[in-house]
Amino acid sequence: MAILLRDLLRHSPEFRIGAVLLAFVLLLSVLASFSPYPPESVYVVPPDVPPSLTYWFGTTSRGQDVFWQLSFAIRNTLLFGCTVALISRLFALVIGLISGYKGGWIDRALMSVNDTFIVIPLLPILVLFYFVMRDRISWLMLALIMACFGWAYDARLIRSVVMSLKAREFTQTSLFSGMSTRQILTEEHLPYVMPIVFSTTMNNMVWSIGLEVTLAVLGFTDINTPTIGGMIYWANQHTAMVAGIWWWIAFPTITVVMAFIGLFLLALSANAYIDPRSRLWSVGEAS
Amino acid sequence: MRANVQQPHAPQDAQPILWVRDLQAHYRTSHFGVRRGVKAVDGVSFAVRRGEIYGLAGESSSGKTTLIKSIAGAIRPPLEIVGGSVEFAFLPGYGGLHRAPPVDVARIRWRHLSYIMQGSMNVLNPVRRVESAFVDFAYPHIGGSRKQFEQQVVAHLARVRLDPSVLAAFPHELSGGMRQRATLALATICRPDFIIADEPTTALDVVVQKEVLGMIRSIQRETGSSVLFVTHDMGVHAHITDRLAIMYAGRLVEEAATAEIFRNPLHPYTRHLISSLPRIGDDTPREGLGGSPPNLADPPPGCRFHPRCPLATEICKREVPAMLEADTGHRVACFAVNQGARA
Amino acid sequence: MNDLLLDISEVSKTFGRGGLLSRQKIAAVNQVSFQLAARRPEILAIIGESGSGKTTLARMILNIETPTSGKLVLDGIDLAAIRSSDARMAFMHKVQPIFQNPFESFNPLKRLDRYLFMTRRRFSRAAGEGAAETSVDDALQKVGLSLQEVRHRYPHELSGGQLQRVAIARALLAEPKLIVADEPVSMIDASLRISIVNLFKTLRDDLGISIIYVTHDLATAYYISDRIMIMQKGCVVESGDARTVLRAPQHPYTRQLREAVLLTEAADVAAGVSGMNDLTSPGAPERRA
Repeated sequence: MAILLRDLLRHSPEFRIGAVLLAFVLLLSVLASFSPYPPESVYVVPPDVPPSLTYWFGTTSRGQDVFWQLSFAIRNTLLFGCTVALISRLFALVIGLISGYKGGWIDRALMSVNDTFIVIPLLPILVLFYFVMRDRISWLMLALIMACFGWAYDARLIRSVVMSLKAREFTQTSLFSGMSTRQILTEEHLPYVMPIVFSTTMNNMVWSIGLEVTLAVLGFTDINTPTIGGMIYWANQHTAMVAGIWWWIAFPTITVVMAFIGLFLLALSANAYIDPRSRLWSVGEAS
Repeated sequence: MRANVQQPHAPQDAQPILWVRDLQAHYRTSHFGVRRGVKAVDGVSFAVRRGEIYGLAGESSSGKTTLIKSIAGAIRPPLEIVGGSVEFAFLPGYGGLHRAPPVDVARIRWRHLSYIMQGSMNVLNPVRRVESAFVDFAYPHIGGSRKQFEQQVVAHLARVRLDPSVLAAFPHELSGGMRQRATLALATICRPDFIIADEPTTALDVVVQKEVLGMIRSIQRETGSSVLFVTHDMGVHAHITDRLAIMYAGRLVEEAATAEIFRNPLHPYTRHLISSLPRIGDDTPREGLGGSPPNLADPPPGCRFHPRCPLATEICKREVPAMLEADTGHRVACFAVNQGARA
Repeated sequence: MNDLLLDISEVSKTFGRGGLLSRQKIAAVNQVSFQLAARRPEILAIIGESGSGKTTLARMILNIETPTSGKLVLDGIDLAAIRSSDARMAFMHKVQPIFQNPFESFNPLKRLDRYLFMTRRRFSRAAGEGAAETSVDDALQKVGLSLQEVRHRYPHELSGGQLQRVAIARALLAEPKLIVADEPVSMIDASLRISIVNLFKTLRDDLGISIIYVTHDLATAYYISDRIMIMQKGCVVESGDARTVLRAPQHPYTRQLREAVLLTEAADVAAGVSGMNDLTSPGAPERRA
């Protein structure tokens, strides 16, 4: 693993840039633990101060330090994205692998569930949830709901890959070597599916974070937990752009964009590296 | 033109139309910072005469596909021409299609130089009718009225025993054999001087294969074109080619008239190839050959066949044998054979 | 002890083609019956061109494809009755496949020895971990390789011929009675092909394994097989002793195939060019199907 990271750092510029960007974002989110102010408190600093040496990213109209607020926000937003991505990847993997490999009525049953999730419009459902649950909605619950809606496309994608893998001769060799279905799926097919899982994790995080921001900006989430969307919501509530308090909106936006680009580049370089043919070439093990 | 390069054997009766001189084509890749070079074609010289079918035989990693790409001018990274030249009589002075101006290349394509590939779908656009391929490729070179052109196409299709109705068909509506005959018709309608045929019958069933081979031969006789015929199948070479070159690990090892190669193979590799062919009615056991073709990223020094060669001596491990004439029109690159010939 | 290793009776396989409304039935294999004797190992060649149903038949024998009708019995096991995974293992213990493309036969992302040890662990009766190394090495020695050459190697590091040998060694580790080889040498380089073909002979003669050799190549079929079966459009048109059938084919289709074989004897090569002209005599042009 250490060698892998070293090789990637040495030979892949995409990985270097991605790692640096993401390191910045992660560092910021880790700093949340050292914040001098609790995230919910308001009017702890003078409001509307532009970025300065005392307040690096300025302060908000609600008297919060943008830097520390942002560190909480990006931490929660990343956690949110990771949770959604993790849970939905799990769904997509299990359903995609089984559906693609087993075929027949299992495939038909799973895919009809799958297609149902694809056609249900997500935004109205989320808004409906918000109106039913009101203040009881927590970000974890929101993450669970979104995870339930975030796997369907990717399960189809994984299914199609597994279907083509199943038709390849090595699947038969594995079968005739006495491997069980679980072994074939997890040991033979999963490595081919992992690049998809990596790149869709990226897409899924972008999607879930984007949707969370949208909902938060509209005020349909738990706005008291600081998130990137929540910050922009409060900035809008205080007409920050009109009032010239650009730093309230600019820094959250820059941070989330950095996170996106960082994730994207990491996924890109990891995909190139997953293939052992190129890996062997790079390390010079091939004889 | 370089004069110091050794001229391949050229007979008095037919002028060459293609000279390949000491061609070196390598793949250069740089992956995660590690540079690799694959010497796919490493010093190949030969000449194809007017009006002959010149066969090129080789295994999957022998570099024959790279050689074809280099001759056809399809040089794209990571493939690079590192040395040597390729020259057609109808396009002199450039040393390779990839060095010629695109205008000139466009002028000679189909008119002087055409192709028959393994997958006919490369030439026939799957979403357009067969007719459109003829109009696109051949009409600009033939000219005249559309009516005349169509008559010419129909007459030419009859040579490959295709009904004019195929013109209105989409490629997928035709069988594999019909498609390959349509590409054959397309490749020959301009009566080109030179045809590159890359495994043209490999994907076909045996009965159809023999038929298509017969057609290639008869059209070639009629138009007097030269054909560079590449396949790994020695049976096909035996059936259609006039002269035959055997390629091994990026180099030519033997070249002679096809019948001569089959009657009197000299290079140990060729000898093995010929003697290991199973034949119906012949029950003698065939001997296998040990080892595997070398990895061209790291080929053995000297003669590249020496690790598998039953005749290998010390010199084979150190020096590269030159292609020398062992008999009239029979060139071979082997120390054992060439010494024997001289002694 | 069964008298028949393989008993195939009137097996058919039809595939549906086309859309929902205009569904056509296409018979890939049509009423095929044949037997392999248990006592005398033999190489049976199934010969046909593309679309003859030879591969579908082979896949049915391997239980990868289920027949539409008819019955396949392998050494007392009715293939249609295989339900449990134990039954499947017992079946795979008796029959093993060799595939056409050696580069596709193993997962390119996985090491080769993994398949060998897995097969050994699942099928071999001999016990013990230390014995595993020995028996894998034994199997590889039988195909002219050694564990040293294969251990920790990925498929792309070996040549096609070597990979096909590993595939055969893997099949041998299951100690099967029958090997079904679908075009096993058509993608092997010329200089390596005959060694693989010879290897099949050795398997039959020394290990007593019967082999079903599926191919389109009459010359290699003549060279190694005892019996051949010619298939055309799903039906067996001619079968019998390989030498008899190929020397004096009876069915017109067999004759056609026989004549299409490109001769490689030196005398024929010299004569071939002049003889070619007969083929190109004008005939009726072919219309669009």
